Amino acid sequence: MTVDHPADLTIVTLLPQLLDTNGDAANARVLAQRARWAGRSARIVPVQSVADLPETVDLVVIGSGTDTDLVAARDALRALAEPLRAWLAGGVPVLAVGTGWELLSAGLDLADGSTVDGLGLVSGRASALPARVTDDLVVDADGLRLLGFENHLRGYAGAAAPLGTVPYGTGNGDGTEGAVAGSFIGTHLHGPVLARNPQLADRMLRSACAARALSLAPSAQTDAVDGIAKAARNQVAVRLSLTSE
Amino acid sequence: MPLRYAPAILLGRVARTLARWRKPGGGSAVPGLVVNTIAPGFLPRTLNGFPGGLVIVTGSAGKSTTTKMLVAALRAHGMSVFTNQSTANISQGLTSALLERVSLTGRIEGDIAVLEMDEGHGALISGSLNPRVVVLTNVMVDQIDRFHDSDMVAAMLAKIAARATGSVVLNADDLYLARLGDGVVSGVTVARYGVSDEVLAANPRGLGYSLTSPTRLDAADGMVLTGVSGLDATVLVDGRVHELRLPARGTHYAVDALTALAAARSALLESFDAAVAVAAISTIPPVFGRGEVVSVRGSTVEFVLVQNPASLQLNVDSLDPDTEQILVAVGSDVRDPSYLWPADTSGLGHVQIASGSKAYDIGLQLAYDGVIVDRIEPDLGRALDDFLALPEPAHGVKTIIFSADSMRRTRAHLGLETNEADPS
Ligand SMILES: [Zn+2]
Repeated sequence: MTVDHPADLTIVTLLPQLLDTNGDAANARVLAQRARWAGRSARIVPVQSVADLPETVDLVVIGSGTDTDLVAARDALRALAEPLRAWLAGGVPVLAVGTGWELLSAGLDLADGSTVDGLGLVSGRASALPARVTDDLVVDADGLRLLGFENHLRGYAGAAAPLGTVPYGTGNGDGTEGAVAGSFIGTHLHGPVLARNPQLADRMLRSACAARALSLAPSAQTDAVDGIAKAARNQVAVRLSLTSE
Repeated sequence: MPLRYAPAILLGRVARTLARWRKPGGGSAVPGLVVNTIAPGFLPRTLNGFPGGLVIVTGSAGKSTTTKMLVAALRAHGMSVFTNQSTANISQGLTSALLERVSLTGRIEGDIAVLEMDEGHGALISGSLNPRVVVLTNVMVDQIDRFHDSDMVAAMLAKIAARATGSVVLNADDLYLARLGDGVVSGVTVARYGVSDEVLAANPRGLGYSLTSPTRLDAADGMVLTGVSGLDATVLVDGRVHELRLPARGTHYAVDALTALAAARSALLESFDAAVAVAAISTIPPVFGRGEVVSVRGSTVEFVLVQNPASLQLNVDSLDPDTEQILVAVGSDVRDPSYLWPADTSGLGHVQIASGSKAYDIGLQLAYDGVIVDRIEPDLGRALDDFLALPEPAHGVKTIIFSADSMRRTRAHLGLETNEADPS
């Protein structure tokens, strides 16, 4: 492969300057490294505005920001509404964490009674919880146990389907956590969620690769890193008196 | 001051003696708690009573270094300075420190007081203080504040700055502080400092502030840091270039020195001599816990404290590239493991041991950044023992990069003195 050769996979990270308060824009780094370890070249393209958009987009991640930047982030995302709509319609895997997810919904009801309109690209809306939630969050998702940390002010209602149910933590606030709609995943899980829960990363990567008829090779590096992630998850599971994997 | 505080001071001294008797070297916050409970006016009355006034240094990062540099600069000008030596930013710790030096009439020897304050505690106690100078370093969302946001930190700093009677010294490159300076009441001077375009350009990731001002400070409007190279820095003060020696590598230390210089001028007014201040700042030893070099079990070891993602990035970027033995320890103070991920740790290259109660999480980040990690050992004591037992490195010194919690545990395990006065 030469430098001029385009990468197998292009991973877009949206507004990493505004939406990376908790390091969740790093989900792009996790996808890129796992693709590389599996024998595929991958590049990460930070996108602040339409001018930054690459020609092809295989995976999209959006992180979480502060409430101070809510309107600025919403306006910047709104300028990217058309490509976002096209990715969701075209089955491009999109992962959005925290406010990055909330801003794609119908809107946000804040604790002071005001609202911030969202882009209306995914069903449901975010509403203030009685108090900020900061704790470990455990999610049972189709036989997978996802584990991370939550730190948010709002819950979520009206998702097309939740990502899973919550044996420990708050999540959406109604016993469920996250949202899934086609190729879209929204979640409150930090970790970053794809590093802590590589099965979710591989679900996104397999989908992106299938669309381009690319294969992913098994790798010793991936196995070693997944062993670290498992140990990190088990450490939390033991602390929370849940069964280890 | 009359003898009204004498009983409280005496009681505080008894408590101090008892605390030391029970736990040598420890318990230093207890006497302060005793005095503050029975005489709540003692702390503000004493702090407001220095003839040269009170200087408060606050902000998210760089407080300790800046305070030490400022104290050195003031002492070089012949001033007798009262300062809080420990990192205890709580009123109990401060009161205990005052008890060490106070007479029964409530007077303390000293021309001026220079206090480092955490923005949260500072905002709480500043209402009763009348500082002549308030020095603001920057707004970063640090570990303590991370469940707040930058607006909240800026609001706490504004509250402290509003108490200034003489001047507010602020970092013009920090947009939150630059805006805060625009709102300072008339009669109070705003003294600005900042870095040049060249210095900013040499730090492509920025300086770690929550928001960076879009333009640089004009040399006509304040002191400017014009260059940083290794341990050397140049500053422009009133049209004259001065050369500074830094206590450790890194632009953040040069900015700390610049802050101290600007603060010294505001504190000393017409008696300020830039050359004297620069010479004094250039002699301060490496700061506790950040780039501190210690000798332990026959090895020379450098301690690097990571307080937030920005400081992790700055420290990774400024690490001597020859460093071949590194231990990284992250403890329970980093509650959300994604917290440190905005930093790119790939520059570490090779880490011997990842440790601390978050060993697997920091190990995971290092692995995704392409860093080779030989071993993940959550037991910090075992990790330290094995790391120190490694043969001496051919290049660089053994380097331990840790979060605050792991720093405390490391010092305790190695039997190194701790200057923590916070009882928690
Ligand atoms: Zn703080």
